[in-house]
Amino acid sequence: MGGVLFALGLVAVIEGWRLYALRTQMVAGAVVGDDTLPLITGAALIVFGILVAVVAPPPPAKVTLPAGPVRAQMLLAGGLLVAYWLILPYVGYTGSTALISVGLYRAMGNYRWLVAGLLAAVTTALLFLMFRVWLHEPLPTGWLGF
Amino acid sequence: VEVLTQLAGGFAAALSPTNLFMAALGALLGTLVGVLPGLGPTAAIAILFPLTTVLEPVPAIIMLAGIYYGAMYGGSTTAILLNIPGEVASVPTCLDGYPMARQGRGGVALGIAAIGSFFAGTLGVVALTFFAPLLADQALRFGPPEYFGLMVLAFTVVASLSSASLLKGFAMAAVGYLASLTGLGPSTAEPRFTFDWGPLMSGVDLIALVVGLFAISEVFLGLEESRVAIAEKIRNVFPGWADLRAAIPAILRGTGIGFVLGLLPGCAPGVTVFMAYDAERRISRHPERFGKGAIEGVAAPESANNATSSAGFIPLLALGIPGSAPLAVLLGGLMVYGLQPGPLLFQKNPEFVWTIIASFYIGNVILLVLNLPLVGLWARLTRIPYGILGPVILMLSFLGAYSVRNSMFDVGVSLVFGAVGYFLRKYQWPLAPLLLAFILGPLLEKYLIQSLSMSGGSPLIFVQRGLSLALILAAGVLLFTSLVLVRYTSRRVREETAEELAL
Repeated sequence: MGGVLFALGLVAVIEGWRLYALRTQMVAGAVVGDDTLPLITGAALIVFGILVAVVAPPPPAKVTLPAGPVRAQMLLAGGLLVAYWLILPYVGYTGSTALISVGLYRAMGNYRWLVAGLLAAVTTALLFLMFRVWLHEPLPTGWLGF
Repeated sequence: VEVLTQLAGGFAAALSPTNLFMAALGALLGTLVGVLPGLGPTAAIAILFPLTTVLEPVPAIIMLAGIYYGAMYGGSTTAILLNIPGEVASVPTCLDGYPMARQGRGGVALGIAAIGSFFAGTLGVVALTFFAPLLADQALRFGPPEYFGLMVLAFTVVASLSSASLLKGFAMAAVGYLASLTGLGPSTAEPRFTFDWGPLMSGVDLIALVVGLFAISEVFLGLEESRVAIAEKIRNVFPGWADLRAAIPAILRGTGIGFVLGLLPGCAPGVTVFMAYDAERRISRHPERFGKGAIEGVAAPESANNATSSAGFIPLLALGIPGSAPLAVLLGGLMVYGLQPGPLLFQKNPEFVWTIIASFYIGNVILLVLNLPLVGLWARLTRIPYGILGPVILMLSFLGAYSVRNSMFDVGVSLVFGAVGYFLRKYQWPLAPLLLAFILGPLLEKYLIQSLSMSGGSPLIFVQRGLSLALILAAGVLLFTSLVLVRYTSRRVREETAEELAL
């Protein structure tokens, strides 16, 4: 994590430096600008990164990462969410929500196909009522038009 | 008298059918989501926030406040019936609430929690009514350096939200500031941290970030845990005379501790609940009953939790300083609706403020009226299998993140923050400082730039003006106080749960 903080800090300082150069060209006489907080935050992140990695590492957390079927469930559910994100604009709300819901109920609840299908139909209908009918949200319609 | 006149005006507006309905709907939905296993108030507000965006600011904020109250109460239900604290503030409630439920007295525990929450919440709102305008009266003395001082004061909250490691908390706050800088710079409108990628120009959306960090990550953490509810039917939620006699003094003491400490901007409910629980056990004639189903062990921390949460509205509305993660999301919600909590809010939007304050009174009553008869329903909800809850929460979060700006980019942001949030929580890096810094980042930058422009770049401006200097000194004192309180609370959390939990 110390390395991640250091890297983020470095990115912030480089971006701050770019903005500083831009400010001195664009705004004559300005002593502060859009570069100020990025530079301060970047410097702080670099210091925190060094502290975490080298100087005063926090006590290591006792972490048990998921394994076996639970890990498979989580990976499948995460993959389905990414797939939903990718297909929603093309397949549209109804088709993609029904499809991904079936997958999520199968992956997270181990329901049979029929039960998962029924649950997915109810979920799709309720979410449509909530977002499209109540909130008037223009949900993506995709190639199918719904 | 002026305060009472304005409050009466607020009640007239808050009691309109629309606002009343929104308060009831918010309390109902908040409790509904709050009782879902493992979902704390922050996640509940995050999931439900997009549903309010279709409303006008006043009913939207009233509904959001109802959601907040409801979600806070919902957290008690899962703590008592499932032994699952949605957040650290519910840990002491588990200690005696769950044993009570196992003894078949879950209904009484839920009833006392509701009564204690109502009493403490209402007292907090009374104090908000009279204290907040006094603080806000100082509005004209606030210039950019003073506002910057306020932001520094708000930064002390990071200490109380950092669990055991202050370094982790401050590092997460810096990451939050960095995330808030993405988009167009406020001075020159020059793109920052966009890497020439169009969607990043509009910055990271608050709701996408909150939904990812607190809702999506929560579902994945929930998948790993096996959660079993108490199967017995909830019979009676109305405590008997003996229970009331034992609980009322505990409610009063819990309220006092929670309220007084809750006024400090750096004191989260997670701190005060343990102090109230420990105080109750210390003064009890039978301390051996604690941990085995003592009703005082539910009444005191629940009252302290709600008193602190309600007292937290004073620094939130009058100074713009949120004392806890759910209040930070509420602050973000106010800002989404174009309202800037702080000293000027009472002068610029008095009707709005007094309507909201009046709705807090109403929300507390609605919560009590709704919750006591519906306790059985909430208890049944905790038995919904996670295989159904998980997909529903994920789909709701996904579409919620999309609906705020109709943007698939925001959905992608929430998925990324969902994964990041999962690993940060697994490795015990606190998320609340990140959220707080993300929300306060743009304000901090604005006041920093304005102040330094006024002084020609000299940072001495922050110590040359009396109020600004006082705020910065207060920040130092509060930081020290928070550190002492956090150390005490972290030790207690470790004793009770053998875990490090963010407050």
